[in-house]
Amino acid sequence: MDMLEELKALGVDTDGGLLRMNGNANLYVRMLGKFVGMMQKMEIPVDFDNNDYSDVAELAHTIKGTAGNLSLTPIFKAYSEIMDLLRANKPEEAKEVLKGIIPVQKEILNCIEKHSA
Amino acid sequence: MDKNKTILIVDDIEINRMLLAEIFNDDYNIVEACNGAEAIEIMNGQEFSALLLDVIMPEVNGIGVLEEMNRSGKIEKIPVFLITAADSEEMLLNGYNLGAIDIIRKPFISQFLKCRVNNVVELYEHRNELERIVAAQVKKLSEMNQSIVETLATALEFRDGDSGEHVKRMCARTRTIITKVSNTYSEYHLPSKEIEKIVLSSVLHDMGKISIPDAILNKPGRLTPEEFEIIKQHTVKGCEILQSVPDIMNNEIYEYCYDICRHHHERWDGKGYPDGLKGDEITIWSQVVALADVYDALTSDRVYKKAFSKETAVNMICNGECGTFNPKLLAVFKELQDVL
Repeated sequence: MDMLEELKALGVDTDGGLLRMNGNANLYVRMLGKFVGMMQKMEIPVDFDNNDYSDVAELAHTIKGTAGNLSLTPIFKAYSEIMDLLRANKPEEAKEVLKGIIPVQKEILNCIEKHSA
Repeated sequence: MDKNKTILIVDDIEINRMLLAEIFNDDYNIVEACNGAEAIEIMNGQEFSALLLDVIMPEVNGIGVLEEMNRSGKIEKIPVFLITAADSEEMLLNGYNLGAIDIIRKPFISQFLKCRVNNVVELYEHRNELERIVAAQVKKLSEMNQSIVETLATALEFRDGDSGEHVKRMCARTRTIITKVSNTYSEYHLPSKEIEKIVLSSVLHDMGKISIPDAILNKPGRLTPEEFEIIKQHTVKGCEILQSVPDIMNNEIYEYCYDICRHHHERWDGKGYPDGLKGDEITIWSQVVALADVYDALTSDRVYKKAFSKETAVNMICNGECGTFNPKLLAVFKELQDVL
């Protein structure tokens, strides 16, 4: 199975992503590779401070926007929810969503990394 | 679409810049900046057809870029699209208030984004082109206006024996004095556009003299009190001429022309004519033209007298020998005496 098919099976809207890239599959794959690199620098700790999470919100915002543009739907949806919860001052609930997305996120990133290698 | 147009993409995340570059690469040259500070620097040296701007960025964020574009006036020329992953409504509203043309939410649909940006770029180009045409026409009209006014004033000057140089000197001195007054005293501050209108109006200050008989206007000897009363009428007559021409009344310099024609012989102490206005009842432009006119009369040959030296003329004016002037105006006049 190639990368895009495998990602599709993991819930990624690869058709939408390709459409956004004007059908340029090479570019899409290249950008997915860059997303892995970006995420390595943007890990959000699940035990972040309940009283001061502006940095966390900023990271979540960036991940949400980029994942959205790459049609990484599960990641986009989770970080959208995390953003909403943080904005509503509900950090504990945001942490629960974060804990839930981490394994899915890992699977998606591993898949991209595996095929990019 | 030709590729003479350039888009500036500002985003701290490389993936987002790459994606936008891919979308617009066919139609535009692409320049990228990875934060607001870099974008501001780039914009100082290059023109752009559009700016695609992320909101949350390190150093200077998108709102900071908009604020800077407002300060520099660039916001009027470059359409700015905020491209953002649904920031707070307050922040987005702030973006609109600061002049962003549109807000695009991530994830966006490429084709829609392309259409929205292309449409706005086309509209801005059209608007900018129209502005250029209008500005050129306004300049042409203004030059024609100026040339007509100056021709008329020169014709008037020829009649009382002047070569027309008086008009040129009046323009130059009015501009020099009123600019300095405007820059020195906040209560007399005037935008440069208004100063230009005043300068142009100043050349018509004596247009009422056309109604004064030659025998009085060019009399070599001292005027009798009756003759002086007739000469004084040139201020009011000038206004009557202006009022009799409807096209002049609609002209943007009419108010200044009327005021200067009527009040350029008023004096600060109320002893001038025709209305005996006192102090700042006299507009600052009529005060300035009055001063420039007296200085020119003193330093020029007349049928009834020889020219005084510039130094003597300044002393005579400052000593009150030619009527009383606004002390603030005299202070500026003294500072300018070497350049008048």
